[in-house]
Amino acid sequence: MATETEVLRTPQGFGGVGSTSPESQAEGLYSDVPPCSDDFGPFCPTYGDHSLLLGFGPIRLRLEGLSARQAALLMQRYGRFRATGGRVTARVRLGPARVPHFLYHRPGVFERYRMERRQDGRTLTLWSYEFAGRLDVEARKADLRLVEPEGVLHDRGLENYLRVLTASFVLEAGGFLLHGAGIVRDGKAFVFFGPSGAGKTTITQLSPDDLVLSDDLTLVVRTPRGYEAAGIPFGLAHHHVPESAGSFPIDSFNMLVQAAAVRRTELAPAQALAEIAGCLPFVMQDTAQSARGLDNVANVVWEVPVHRLEFRKDASFWNVLTEAS
Amino acid sequence: MDLSLALARNPNAAYRVYDGKATIVLPEHAAVHVLNEVGSFVWDRLDGQRTLATIVDEVAATYEVSPDQAHQDVAAFVAALLEQKMVRQP
Repeated sequence: MATETEVLRTPQGFGGVGSTSPESQAEGLYSDVPPCSDDFGPFCPTYGDHSLLLGFGPIRLRLEGLSARQAALLMQRYGRFRATGGRVTARVRLGPARVPHFLYHRPGVFERYRMERRQDGRTLTLWSYEFAGRLDVEARKADLRLVEPEGVLHDRGLENYLRVLTASFVLEAGGFLLHGAGIVRDGKAFVFFGPSGAGKTTITQLSPDDLVLSDDLTLVVRTPRGYEAAGIPFGLAHHHVPESAGSFPIDSFNMLVQAAAVRRTELAPAQALAEIAGCLPFVMQDTAQSARGLDNVANVVWEVPVHRLEFRKDASFWNVLTEAS
Repeated sequence: MDLSLALARNPNAAYRVYDGKATIVLPEHAAVHVLNEVGSFVWDRLDGQRTLATIVDEVAATYEVSPDQAHQDVAAFVAALLEQKMVRQP
């Protein structure tokens, strides 16, 4: 008899940050500036009065307070995900921040992307280097302050905040956001998951003729037809922008392991649960969301096969996947 | 290990027992733990009410091992849980 506890994996967050932020030097601020109540509220300015409704899976996010230019730029990037109807999951009002940064990143020093959170009753506040957002959980209204009106810092702040909101809201719909690649072949979605470096982007590059939903974050949603996979539009600059706003029935989940030969073995349910749970970004820092995430993953594992996929860097893994399905 | 202690699971830990094994998420450490069947059996009983002595007896009876063996295994396991702040004294 033996008892054991094994740390499988740290749930994934963001990647590292290696850029510099000279604007913080200009202000003479060399430390974190956590947001306070003055940063949010109806009297804080917005960029303008334009809006955009985005839809992906069961999520509908309405971005408000945009300038005409911002709305046009966002339409260029997210146009495929523009929605015209459906129940709005949350409204996100954008406006300029009062400070040049919220978290401070010392120029030239590599650090893992940090994000802080604070929950006060029905209010959840999140902040990082380039954004601070306050969500009224019950009213489904968020106030998002960005340090730049456009450009890299703006895009990163906006997308990171929306990714976190997406990860939270999809839990309520019985799904989850997975640190994984999603590829559609013959109408079925194959989901490949694993930590950074596992090979998710490689897998998508080895599938040039298939529909790629994501090479980084794939939405798993519950539908009346069963579990389906969808992409989210927030890929940041270095990730794949989904080629479709649709969702597709999931054939299987495949945990990526780089090896000399291709082999696929089914994971036992408990291990499948833990391996997938270890790849849920953003939500595992909160006990209630963790519990909900475990429930949702357990339900998915009950219905959809989860495999360990050993693969080498060629397309031969598809032979194993398509034979099995 | 003081067997009169009644340890409790970390209240911030989210966990589910699936297929006989406990999957545990500790938000403050952002880590996922998986316990085997015996570990899950012990984890389920760390409710702040049962003493470790009671749990040792239950392990010995359920898994048909000697009390000494059960004591040794439970003590080592609980020490690991304490070190990782997965349990605490109520």
